Amino acid sequence: MLTRFRVEGEGERSSMAENDDLGIERTASIQNPTKPSSSIGARVRATHDDDEDEVRVSLRPVLPHSSSDLIHQEAARALSVMDSFHQPWLTGVELLDDANRNKHVLPTGLEGIDVLLGGGLREGQLIEIAGPSSSGKTQPLQMQVCLHSASCIADKGSVMFLDTCNSFSPNRIACMVNQFSGPLFKEAKERRLERIMSSILCQPIYDIFELLDTLHQLESTLKHTVKTGGYKICLLIIDSISSLIAPILGGKSPQGRLLMVSAGIVLKKLAHEFNLAVLVTNHMVGGEGGIIKPALGESWKNIPHVRLVVSRDQQSNVFTATVLKHTMRVAYYIHVSEFTCNTDINYSQMKNQSKNHRILNMLILHLYNVPIAACF
Amino acid sequence: MAIIKLLRTAWDMLSEEQMQQHITTGCEDLDHILRGGIHCGEVTEVGGVPGIGKTQLGIQLAVNVQIPVEYGGHGGQAVYIDTEGSFMVERAHQIAEGCINGILDNFTDHDRKILACQEWMQPNSFLSNIFYFRICSYTEQIAVTNYLEKFLKEHKDVKIVVIDSVTFHFRQDFDDLACRTRILSGMSLKLMKLAKTNNLAVVLLNQVTTKYTEGSFHLTLALGDSWSHSCTNRIILYWNANERYAYIDKSPSLPSASAPYSVTSKGIRNSTSHCKRVRMM
Repeated sequence: MLTRFRVEGEGERSSMAENDDLGIERTASIQNPTKPSSSIGARVRATHDDDEDEVRVSLRPVLPHSSSDLIHQEAARALSVMDSFHQPWLTGVELLDDANRNKHVLPTGLEGIDVLLGGGLREGQLIEIAGPSSSGKTQPLQMQVCLHSASCIADKGSVMFLDTCNSFSPNRIACMVNQFSGPLFKEAKERRLERIMSSILCQPIYDIFELLDTLHQLESTLKHTVKTGGYKICLLIIDSISSLIAPILGGKSPQGRLLMVSAGIVLKKLAHEFNLAVLVTNHMVGGEGGIIKPALGESWKNIPHVRLVVSRDQQSNVFTATVLKHTMRVAYYIHVSEFTCNTDINYSQMKNQSKNHRILNMLILHLYNVPIAACF
Repeated sequence: MAIIKLLRTAWDMLSEEQMQQHITTGCEDLDHILRGGIHCGEVTEVGGVPGIGKTQLGIQLAVNVQIPVEYGGHGGQAVYIDTEGSFMVERAHQIAEGCINGILDNFTDHDRKILACQEWMQPNSFLSNIFYFRICSYTEQIAVTNYLEKFLKEHKDVKIVVIDSVTFHFRQDFDDLACRTRILSGMSLKLMKLAKTNNLAVVLLNQVTTKYTEGSFHLTLALGDSWSHSCTNRIILYWNANERYAYIDKSPSLPSASAPYSVTSKGIRNSTSHCKRVRMM
């Protein structure tokens, strides 16, 4: 789907065209005003396959002796205004760059879990841990994860813990810190403890609406800190999201499912835009044949990127974790088969490029706001 | 990060948690494994077979919370929500007397006489500090949970809310199990919020049911799997060779352990058998 933007002004024409090999043509032409005091009006016409949209953009007044540089500047400004109407299209190369630079892996400190997750919690992903009651979700898994990430990233960022069942226990975390700190002097231990504990933030949440409110506030706070360069959050833990969603899910109205999916979308958007890993916990319910399965139903299954199930053997105090879904592991398999399908269909367009280049040049657009996407 | 209200660092909360109050259960072994008693600010679920002493424990806690601050208690009031009708006033009077005598035992004869005459040391005044709600249907139970917020604003001294039992009205006549799950999880969220904001202990007494898994029947707490996630701590009471034991099943900060206790005419006390060692799991 190709989109063209054309900026036209009144008066004399001077155009600047940009054409990249993705097939998106952006032209901006600004005309010199005949009168010095008038503002440059620009008409933006966006054409795409189905219909044309017209948007008016007016720019500030330009001095009478405007050079072509200034015209180009204004044209670039107009283009950036247009770009803000929709999320920018990204190529695979840009995404890979972003993934390598920004999306680090946070080790959990538990070797088995790290192996399952392929290194640890990946920033930009939503990870779900499901398990029956007292199976090791909160203690020790959450605490361990929280604490290990906090100690690794104490200088880079902080860990935010949203607690719905009053199970956040600073005492236990302090015990774990002191356990793993090794041989250090008492003052050094104290300082280390304070440093780590100060980077773990906790808030109690008892309502799905409170959660959405907090997430939106967090989003605006993080946008602000990105600009000012303050410290950032690396890991967001919600324990447990199922207790917030259970009171509204089910019944005749789809309201509950709507709120659940909205919460999932907001979490994934936060994870991608601000490079944080999101960890949520879920509980188990009985399924058919007496087998237990994670709660929250079929609609929730597709939302997290990675799903783990933990269980605990009562007698031996051993915890087991199983992977239900993982984008990295399965993606490779699906990737290969999708690729085969694509080459057949689009071979004529892409035959001049190498195999890898073809994949990386597929256009990827992150969609978080469905209504805006629908108008394209 | 102070822009988001209620957000605090773990370091600030650490000092607060060390000052967290506990409500003594009357039995030293049980208090020992609970590191002081029932935690304030958390929801504790206590479940067990009929006759094990759940109601007795509930009444004991409602009395123990009123022990004056000078004698190691909280000097608070209690809310007792009764769904089964198992609260006996005479028994509460007996337990209050037992508690008062326990306090007085620590003093010499002379002081004892002076103290015993004080008004607040009478069992009747202990009874007057227990607010009792009798619930006859599940809608009333939901209504009381909603009303508690307003009630607690007016009565700021309440330090414990006991619901005995939370299961009773949800077990029979509920056709729509999904609706039941929704109501119960909504109720538990509200109770969590009450516990946190008013810093009081919420104790929910639960019954047991039989479950068939992996070819055998065994007893589990009622109300299903989703309810098991709605509390912060869980204590299971069970029989073991003619003795009553309490086992910590779920807790964010305590290790699993069990301790024996006994129910006497004065209330819940230490077990008087020969092997009084606490078994750590």
